[in-house]
Amino acid sequence: MESYLLAMAVFAGFYALMALGLNVIFGLGGMINLGLVGFYAIGGYVSALLVLKLHWPMLAGWLAALLACAAVGAVVAVITARLKGDYLAIVTLGFAEVIRLVASNEIWLTNGTDGISAIPGPGRGVLSPLQFNLLFAAIVWGTVLVVALLLGRLSASPFGRVLRAIREDEMIAAVAGKKVLRFKVQAFAVGAGVLGLAGALYAHFNAYIAPDAYQPLITIYVVLALTAGGTGTMRGAVLGAVLVVFLTEGTRFAGNWVPGLAPVQVAALREASIGIALILVLYLRPQGILPERTRTLSLEPR
Amino acid sequence: MTLRTSRRATLLGGLSLPFVSRLARAAGEPVRLGTLCPLTGAGGSYGPAMVKVAKTIVDEVNAAGGVLGRQILLTGEDDQTNPDAGVRAARKLIDVDKVDAVIGTWASSVTTAVAPLCWENKVMLFTVSGADSITQMPHKGFIIRTQPNTHLQGTRAGEYLAAHGSKKVFSLAAQTPFAVDGYKVLTEALKAHGADTVGQVIYDQAKTTFRTEIDEMLKAKPDSLYLNSYQPDLAVLLRELFRAGYEGKKFTYGYAANAKLLGSVPANVSDGLVAFAPSPDVGSPAYAKVKAILGGAEPDPYSCQVHDHVSLAVLAIAKAGAVSGQAIHDNVRGVGDPAGTKVTSAVEGLKLLAAGKAINYEGASGPCKFTPTGDISNCKFRFDVAEKGKMKLLEIS
Repeated sequence: MESYLLAMAVFAGFYALMALGLNVIFGLGGMINLGLVGFYAIGGYVSALLVLKLHWPMLAGWLAALLACAAVGAVVAVITARLKGDYLAIVTLGFAEVIRLVASNEIWLTNGTDGISAIPGPGRGVLSPLQFNLLFAAIVWGTVLVVALLLGRLSASPFGRVLRAIREDEMIAAVAGKKVLRFKVQAFAVGAGVLGLAGALYAHFNAYIAPDAYQPLITIYVVLALTAGGTGTMRGAVLGAVLVVFLTEGTRFAGNWVPGLAPVQVAALREASIGIALILVLYLRPQGILPERTRTLSLEPR
Repeated sequence: MTLRTSRRATLLGGLSLPFVSRLARAAGEPVRLGTLCPLTGAGGSYGPAMVKVAKTIVDEVNAAGGVLGRQILLTGEDDQTNPDAGVRAARKLIDVDKVDAVIGTWASSVTTAVAPLCWENKVMLFTVSGADSITQMPHKGFIIRTQPNTHLQGTRAGEYLAAHGSKKVFSLAAQTPFAVDGYKVLTEALKAHGADTVGQVIYDQAKTTFRTEIDEMLKAKPDSLYLNSYQPDLAVLLRELFRAGYEGKKFTYGYAANAKLLGSVPANVSDGLVAFAPSPDVGSPAYAKVKAILGGAEPDPYSCQVHDHVSLAVLAIAKAGAVSGQAIHDNVRGVGDPAGTKVTSAVEGLKLLAAGKAINYEGASGPCKFTPTGDISNCKFRFDVAEKGKMKLLEIS
């Protein structure tokens, strides 16, 4: 049980990191990014390949994943600079699918749909599974803490204020003399970098990555985590991620309490209950559990 | 003093319920098995039947007194046909439910992701996934796979061709990771039976014409063609073979020669095409039972394989006289002793094992004999031939 709980804490950490990354792009910058699983995949593949094929140290692999995703994020931001709202959502969704298809088909590099297995993790094989999970939980949550603090600083800085201004009204920000595109690209790069770091950590925890792992389902979970936790706040992103993992995992046990259901009905009920819980959260607290408070927002009754 | 229940205490109490019930169960010490089938996602159409079959077999064994005097507790989780979700489900089965065997992983990516967890925790993994790479992992014997890999399929194709008079076989193969290996395996199987391959052309599926490929094939003067293709390219190939006047045998895979193919080419173009596919052992009483469990429809191969997974796990535990993943690992091949009495169900086998007799389990999916790497060493294949635009069963062997 302890081992399982620790593993779920690690997964919650991955989701928290992704929600933090998304928060910079969507929460602060207002750019709807439904392609975050694509960045998650790039992070995983970059680190796994560098460590396995070029024998880089693990930490260097993680750093490279972060930088690679930041660079790709910047490029995506430039390409999609003219797109907003639904159009941006569709293009980013497509971006994630392209990444998944490339990973499926560039077999020489990614081993295709067979995926990459035996990715090393810190102390794997030496430590017992329980100790390994404990160590990794510490690494992931340490990373979440550092990233949340840094991004919190960023959000409170003039940079964060400009991003919020762009989110609310691009035109006004531009009229005020802010270079909108530059800020958007920077925000996208920072957010994508965090997504990539999450992806790298995931690859080394799971020891195995394959294109199939990077389905839009993860994107949906993370978007829900951020919206439920509170778009725009770092604490909200982390809380929402923990909540989503608690819901997805907790409902496994709840299934046993409903008698007389076939397993397939329990599985369906489980997905439905996750959906209902999130609808309830959004209905009762549309601003999220920990809503964003800024000097202007806190004055408005919402 | 009044008893006050705080919200926090209620929450903790509620959360601890499953642990309390677990403790209560531990007194009866059940044997724990887990299914990890796709109930949602791309494989969602297969999982429910697989779980139903597993549950029925477990109920039967429990009704007959269980294994080693203990009841079997079957826990099911949904792998969502997604390796990410599958890993979390497997962790729950292994760490929380403490299962000794994980049964019925379907997607190859899920199996590959879950397998390391299983062998690290000495839990047996029974799978229906097809990717060759699965049994090539360093799994220390903790994987048993009932789906034939491409090696077995290629060997059986070669044997069939040689047995039906082919001497010179030419291969036209779509560019897949298996094209080169498949040709090698086919050549070996043919040579072992006095025939041989006379060449292979690997083509790009996306091409709209295969004129040059077919010219090259005709130069080698084969008497039979091995079409390692998919449905869309096979349709083009068959048309061009017809136009080129090729009159030798044509042999392909069942998944390529599907209804869509037959609908897309004229009957005189597809006639004579022989297709083969792995098949459950439709003559076996175990197959009849799976069919009955699923309400009389022809069961898919995966449900048949899950029937055998559960039976093998239970029988291996009985043979070992001990309950653990290691015990299943050590005895899963021992319940298929060719010298023993043939049985086709777990209940039947348990009786004989209790009487100290050797058994030879043969299930719904086939003989269930395994190579040292965990692949099945043989299974039935069905061979169909296209006649007047319809597939007609030739034989199941």
